[in-house]
This record gives sequence, C-alpha cells and structure tokens, in this order.
Amino acid sequence: MTDFTIITRSMTARLFSTITTIITVSVAVGLMLLLLSLRSAGEEAFSRGAGNMHLLISRDSSPLVSVLNGIFYAKAPPRWIEWSKYEQIVQTYPLDWAIPTQLGDSYRGHPVLATTPEFFTKFQPDPDEPWQLREGRYFTEPFEVVAGAAAAKSTGLRPGDHVELKHDATNEEHAHFEYIVVGILEPTGTSHDRALFTSLEGAWIIHAHERREDEDHEVEHTGADDLLPADRKITGIYVGLPTREGSKVSAALQQVFSMLRADPSITVAQPGDETKKLFEIIGNMNLLFIGMAGVVMVSSGISIMLALYNSMEQRRRQIAVLRVLGCSRGRISSLVLTESAMIGLLGAAAGIAVWLIGSQVATSILKDVLGLVVHPRLDAATTLIIVMATIALAALAGVVPSIMAYRTPVSRHLKPIG
Amino acid sequence: MDGHVLALGIRDLKFRYGPSGPWIVDVPALDLDPGEQMLLTGGSGRGKSTLLNLIAGLMDPVEGRIFVGGTDVHSMHGAARDLHRGRHVGVIFQTFNLLHGFSAVENVMTAMMFSTIPRREHRPRAEQLLEHLGIDRPNADPDRMSLGQQQRVAVARAVACDPVLVLADEPTASLDPENAVVAMDLIQAICAEKNAALLCVSHDPTMKDRFERQASLSELAAEPAAAEGGC
Repeated sequence: MTDFTIITRSMTARLFSTITTIITVSVAVGLMLLLLSLRSAGEEAFSRGAGNMHLLISRDSSPLVSVLNGIFYAKAPPRWIEWSKYEQIVQTYPLDWAIPTQLGDSYRGHPVLATTPEFFTKFQPDPDEPWQLREGRYFTEPFEVVAGAAAAKSTGLRPGDHVELKHDATNEEHAHFEYIVVGILEPTGTSHDRALFTSLEGAWIIHAHERREDEDHEVEHTGADDLLPADRKITGIYVGLPTREGSKVSAALQQVFSMLRADPSITVAQPGDETKKLFEIIGNMNLLFIGMAGVVMVSSGISIMLALYNSMEQRRRQIAVLRVLGCSRGRISSLVLTESAMIGLLGAAAGIAVWLIGSQVATSILKDVLGLVVHPRLDAATTLIIVMATIALAALAGVVPSIMAYRTPVSRHLKPIG
Repeated sequence: MDGHVLALGIRDLKFRYGPSGPWIVDVPALDLDPGEQMLLTGGSGRGKSTLLNLIAGLMDPVEGRIFVGGTDVHSMHGAARDLHRGRHVGVIFQTFNLLHGFSAVENVMTAMMFSTIPRREHRPRAEQLLEHLGIDRPNADPDRMSLGQQQRVAVARAVACDPVLVLADEPTASLDPENAVVAMDLIQAICAEKNAALLCVSHDPTMKDRFERQASLSELAAEPAAAEGGC
C-alpha cells in the first residue's frame, strides 16, 4: 500500500466523474495542441502555394487580394489585363518567365485556371518540386483540361472524361464547348490541387464566341482565327525573375518590383510578403482561438475542482479513518493535490491522443476542401510546456479541495467515535 | 518513577466545548498497564467518545495531560502526534469504518503505511494477522463479508502495528449477540496476546462480566488525582 494506491482507488471509486473530468481536460489540451500545430503547418502550406514565383501581377484592388485570388483562388479577379499590356511587360522588364493566367470559369465549384503550357514547365507550385502527372498528359490543345489532385478526387474526373465549364460571372455553362480531361496531377499540397487547368486560347475562344453570339445569334463556330485583340484578356501574370544558379532569390526583385509598382494600371504583389501579411491578420484570429482553448483549459480546471469538491463529502469519512490510522493533515492534503494533478496528467496524455486524431481529421478536411496539404507537427518543448501547464493548472484546481481535506474534523466525521 | 511505563496515563484531564460550557470530560487520574483491560461505561452523550478522541490525540484537552506509552500525547503537534497515534494506538469503531474500495488485506496494510514497519513486511504481516483472526479470503472486498468478518478485519487493522493501547468504541453495537460474543472474545484475546492495553467503551450490560476493571465516567471524575509526575 502506497499513497499512489490510495489515490488510484479514490479515482476508480468515482470512475464516472473521473473519466468525464479527464475527457474535459483532454479536449482542452487537444484543442490547444491542434491550434498551435495547425498554425505553423498552415503558414507553411500557404507559403508553398506561391512556389518559385517572384511576383504576381493583376488588376486587383490590392496586392493581398491579388495573392488571394491569383494563388489561392478566392474568387475570379473582376478586372482584366489586356494582352498588349502583358506583351509590354514581357518586353520591358528583365523577366525569366511570365506566365499569363485567366480565372473566371469553374467546374463543379472548382476554379479553372486558363494558362499556357509554360505553367507546367516554368512554374513550380512548391520550389524544387515540379509538377507531376498521376495519369495522362498536360494539355497541348484548346479545350483540353488537366485536373488538380483534389479536384479530380472530389469530382471523380478521369482522363477521357468530357466536361462543360461554367462561367462564374453569369453562372451559366459554356454549352457549345465541351472539354476533355487529358491528365490528372499528383498532389502538390498547395491550393492548386483543387483547380483545373486548361489552355488560355480555349478560354479566349469561348468568350469570343459569346461576344460573337451577342452580335449575331446565327454564329455556330468560333475558332482561333476569330479572336480579336480585345478577346485576348488575362487576369494575372505569374512572374519568375532571373536567379543565380542554385539560388531562389533574385537580385533584381526589388528593382523590378519598384518599377512595376510605378505602373498605376496594374497591381504587383510579392507573394511571400503578402502571405506574411495574411498570417498577421489570421494570427489575431489564432490568438482568439488559442485564447478560447485557454478558457476551455481553465474551465476544465474548474471542473476538476468541482469534481473533487463534490467528492469531499463522500470522502470525509475515509479521510477521518486515515487520520486515525496516523496519516497527517499535510499528507491527506497532498493526496488530494496529487490526485488532482494526476487527473491533469491523464487529461494531458489523452489530449495528445485527441490532438493526433484531430490533426488527422483537420488534415483530411483541409486537403479535400481547400487542397491544402498540412503536416501538423509539435515540437517536444511545446508539448512538454502544455503538459506541465495542464498538470500545474490541475494541481491548482485541487488546492481548495485539499484545504477542505486538511481541515476535515476527524471526530465529527467518524461517528460513533465522535 | 520506577521505570514502569504505563500504556495509558491520564492526569487532571478536563474538556468542555466553549469557554464557559459544562465539563464534558473530567478525569483526575486514570492508569492502564500494558495488557490491562478496562471497560468504561455510561449513557449516551456522557463524553465517553470524547475521552477516546482526547486519548487518540484527535482533540485537545482544556486542561491536563494524557500519556500513551509514556509519551505526552498533547506535547506533540501535527504530523508527530499523528505518527505517534498510528504507531501506538489502535482504534476499533462501532461501524468498523473499513475503507471502501480496498480489500481486507489492504485495509490492514493501510494502518502499517503510517508506521515504521518496513514496507516489504506489510502484506505478509497483514495476511498472517487476518489468517490468525479467521479471515481466509484476505483479498476479498469487506463489503461482501459478513458483519462479524468485517469486525475481524477492523480488529486486525487496529492491532496491525502492535499498539500499546487499543481503544474500542462500542465494538459490538453493530453485531448480533452471537457475533458480539465472538468479536469481544477475539478483541480481548488479541490484545492480551499482543500485551496491548484495552480501553473499551460500551453501554452493553453483557460486557460487565468480561472486564475485571470497569468504571463509569462519573466514577472516574470522583477519583482523587494522582501525584504529579510522568507516566
């Protein structure tokens, strides 16, 4: 018989109360760990989406909106960049590559990015990790589609499938044009996984056809030859700048950025900077969530106190017997405090299990819904700090019951000896 | 002093609740030798249980001193007094007060937790004691035992640490007459065997035949105080 035996017997004697209290603590700890791990993993995942791009050009209202629309597919940019502007930028500035993109269509809720084949050869969604096909090939002709991994998974698209895209602005399908799926991409762990990719020329032809239909209802076919300069519109430009061999950083970045920014007709964003700004905004939300998890932790501490407090009436006789047998007030008090801390320890251990399960669920949801692959990780120091804090909080919650135990009058609670 | 150490010595003991209440306990002198057995009688509410609490060191007297095994109980405080009680005083309750959720042997071992008996000896010693007292299932839950068996476990717990003094508060009040006889035989025999003094409080008239020495609280109050000195 040891003090530990007495504590464990006391806990098992009130098994339901003990288990529910441990569950409460574990949920709080799991939530706290989940928020902390997702915070860093999310930042990492968002940073990956910009890949090896140095600048993003659009006509959005701000650089942040430009990044949200152009990389994270928040919504189709409302303003166009004329093709002549694209050509001017390419000719004027020392760019390594400039990939035109157009957003505005979708397939079953998944954004469709119309671009050029260089999108798959020059742009890398994750630096040093080029695109890879799971099935089929990249598009080479208009009206061919390559589906991102998450988009293919959620829609069930396979190479050879025929699809009709929807114009987001009118919410109508481009009924005259049927696309064929020619490839499925491997997951990249970025927002691009939930998009579909097609030829920019095909997108121009569709919208040119609609223009021509508005002008002449008899029009049946539109091809590349029917395109007017005004049909050649894009919504964004992914820009890569020259870098030294083996380096991702461009010495020309600030200079080119400043020059482009001087052009009032376009919006220029450095995706890395904008992602940081985004996380500064989200960071406040994170603090709110962590604060909420903290409140849950404190309330779980209160529930430990209440559970022990409520048990004190039943335990006074046991305490009185132990006192008669020679147990000191201090030792009785420490038994209650240790029991409280043990509930905290068990709750923290269960909380790590909750975190493991919760992070798997969150990872799965983020991957399926947003196409973001996050890898929630916790460093040992953070985990240890939270476990120790939980135990300390639980021990603190045991102070009031332990004082009650300390003050238990033996003679009154040991009838008939009293 | 002749070097003879009393199991229990009481000198000028007085206790009352509040500063002006009537004296609940007023015992000028009471000595019990090692192995001696005494019955303390009296009606309910006369202070018998309070006297036992004072002897056990669970309450503090207003006046006087109590010596158990030669040590002034109330000269010690806190954990020291608790340890002294655990090592030198065994208590048998009317309602047994066995710990719920603990087996019979664990109940006995609990008493040894607060003694100087080496931990490795706790279980064999407790099992041996229970077997000696007729408990053949030491790992059974006392809640599933008969009242008589529960009382045996309680007795085993009270004498587990070889106390110099055993206090028994209405030890047979919860038992039927047949079991009461068996229980008292057991208590008196084990105390005699371990040379522990027994102070038994009871208002059961059948007890009177069992004790050569007996007194009521009022009779104790009328006895003259002993000379100054230790016990």
